[in-house]
Amino acid sequence: MDISENKVLIANRGEIAIRIVQACRKLGVGFVCVYTAEDARSGHVRLAEELGGSACLYRIASYHDANEILSVADTSGATAIHPGYGFFAEDYRFARRVTQRERGIIFIGPSWRVIRELGDKINTKRLARSLGVPTVPGSDRPIYAELEAEELARSLFDFQTQQGIKNPLVLVKASAGGGGMGIEEVHDLDLFRSVYRRVRNYAARQFKDEGVLIEQRIRDFNHLEVQILADRNARNIVHFGTRNCSIQSTGLQKRLEVAPGFDPASVVYNFDADRLLEDIIRHSLALARKVSYDNVGTWEWIVTREGQPYLMEVNTRIQVENGVSAAISRIKGREPSDGTDLIAEQIRTGLGDPLGYTQEDISFHSMGIEYRIIAENPDNGFAPWVGRIEKFSWNPAPWLHMHTHVPTDAPYDIPTEFDPNLALGIVWGKDIAEVKQRGLEFLESLRLEGSTAKGEPLQSNLAFLKKKTLDILKF
Amino acid sequence: MDISALLEEIKASPYVESDIAVPHCGVVRFNSKLKAGDKLSGPRGQWKELLGTLLADIERERCLKNIYAREKGELVSINYELAGKFVEAGAEIMHVRHFMSRNEVLQTLLRHSLFLFNAPEKAKYYFVPNIDVKVKNTGAQSVSVHDGMELFIISRMKRETTLRYTGPDGVIYAVYFDAEHHVAPGQPLIGVCPPAQLGQIEDVFMRVQTEWPED
Repeated sequence: MDISENKVLIANRGEIAIRIVQACRKLGVGFVCVYTAEDARSGHVRLAEELGGSACLYRIASYHDANEILSVADTSGATAIHPGYGFFAEDYRFARRVTQRERGIIFIGPSWRVIRELGDKINTKRLARSLGVPTVPGSDRPIYAELEAEELARSLFDFQTQQGIKNPLVLVKASAGGGGMGIEEVHDLDLFRSVYRRVRNYAARQFKDEGVLIEQRIRDFNHLEVQILADRNARNIVHFGTRNCSIQSTGLQKRLEVAPGFDPASVVYNFDADRLLEDIIRHSLALARKVSYDNVGTWEWIVTREGQPYLMEVNTRIQVENGVSAAISRIKGREPSDGTDLIAEQIRTGLGDPLGYTQEDISFHSMGIEYRIIAENPDNGFAPWVGRIEKFSWNPAPWLHMHTHVPTDAPYDIPTEFDPNLALGIVWGKDIAEVKQRGLEFLESLRLEGSTAKGEPLQSNLAFLKKKTLDILKF
Repeated sequence: MDISALLEEIKASPYVESDIAVPHCGVVRFNSKLKAGDKLSGPRGQWKELLGTLLADIERERCLKNIYAREKGELVSINYELAGKFVEAGAEIMHVRHFMSRNEVLQTLLRHSLFLFNAPEKAKYYFVPNIDVKVKNTGAQSVSVHDGMELFIISRMKRETTLRYTGPDGVIYAVYFDAEHHVAPGQPLIGVCPPAQLGQIEDVFMRVQTEWPED
């Protein structure tokens, strides 16, 4: 079956839904979108209506309702489901159900067995340790008992003291969490119990699972990622380089990502950065081969100031920040003007097309930054701002991709039900100096205005992003 | 508050009209025994364990969900053109009306009598854990509140902050939110009864008991 005979149901919203629609169009594949009442004015709804009419648009009650998604898939004749990120993207039960039901549908993502194996942070840690891949010291299964958690925390404090760490820290994480949600650190064992209970209660409310992970908190590190892509036969596995995602909110959510992960040509590091990047790519590919990885995925690493890498987790899905890797990479035989589109590659290979190229065909040019534009107050713990956006505009440039679901020609009320990302701005340049200069130029040109019902002005992270642009890739 | 005037106002217009919308998408089928003008029964029994009149069902992915009348009343109209068709979430399938129940009248009057503490912004709200336990174990009316007390957790986009109660001291008499749904700004979260107002609230109860017909 030619991939163009497929119709993809996009089980997601906002910016990622728009990019999937655009990728489907590029590949000549049909699409169907879903939306909830809160999203009726979202850009993905408008785009779907424009490109496919009302026949490709279905209102559902919830993006979390698998029955509804599958019911729409059947009614619309969809042959594949793209989960985007969040929602069902890393739910192996959903992926298994989609493919194994009576009217089987392709799940555009890794096979359910791979998601089950790697989607669980704890299992990934175990698997990585079996391959000699370094991981962060701490629990390798979710903990539900307070006494056990406290005992583990005590041993991690002792371990760090023995290592000569002056101010040891322990991280308490909701095991079912993600995207930086439900993570707190503890500096004193006496405070552990109250933090543990807070995270456990938060996890129960938000993720319906009280499981908690306890890890050593490694400070003074950079957060790196390796972008992997493989086709369905899992023999052709390639990487699209590294990213540095160290600039985050106080809640450990990414705000600015840079590709590649380090720039030893212009920044001095305490270690051999080229070699470190090679090492984490090699480890990531080894783990991908071990589990027969068969779609896109991201291997997340932390790297200490001394250059020690630790594998944190594998995200078995497309990442928000995929575009910045795509912006700096080229595939041999394709027009540079086409650029690389990792979402289109994910759909194409997910539908069964062979990869069609090898690692030697992928080259990396320039440097890229992705900015996450968010209505929030960085000076108050990155508290989300909720209200109406009245003006949203920027100056287009040949070195800029802007992805957003926020309309630029009509007011937009920010829904409180979903993650607060408003837009992703991706810029690239020939080196770090040029990409910084272009990044600042883009941010300067951005107009984001609005107000709450009480008339209070919109708050955003633009000043934070400008300030942090100057510090990219530095420890 | 002039309870008599309010009661008279309600008595002058004692019906509530509403649309029945499907909770999610799927194929809808109507109860073939029903037609416009039919009487509907609402949930009954000590714990409302007896369901109201079956209005329709909706099926998605072989999961059938029945849609029942939520109030005793009358069926005004049915959107027959949707019968047997796949409908989107929120599609309106019927129009009904019902005579206000004693509890509805009481709640309406209470909203005018109690001190209402409103949601400052659109979000999900929870009681802080120690209050939540108390509400679940012994009921909201066992919880005393005072000005400045940390009472709620506000959750927006999975980010949580606490919210302090501001208003007169008293007991929580009514809770208007649940953890599953967002509350719009300005909508009440709780109704608080200050001790000095207890007599007035008892009067409201008495008036409704004596002046409003049985459900």
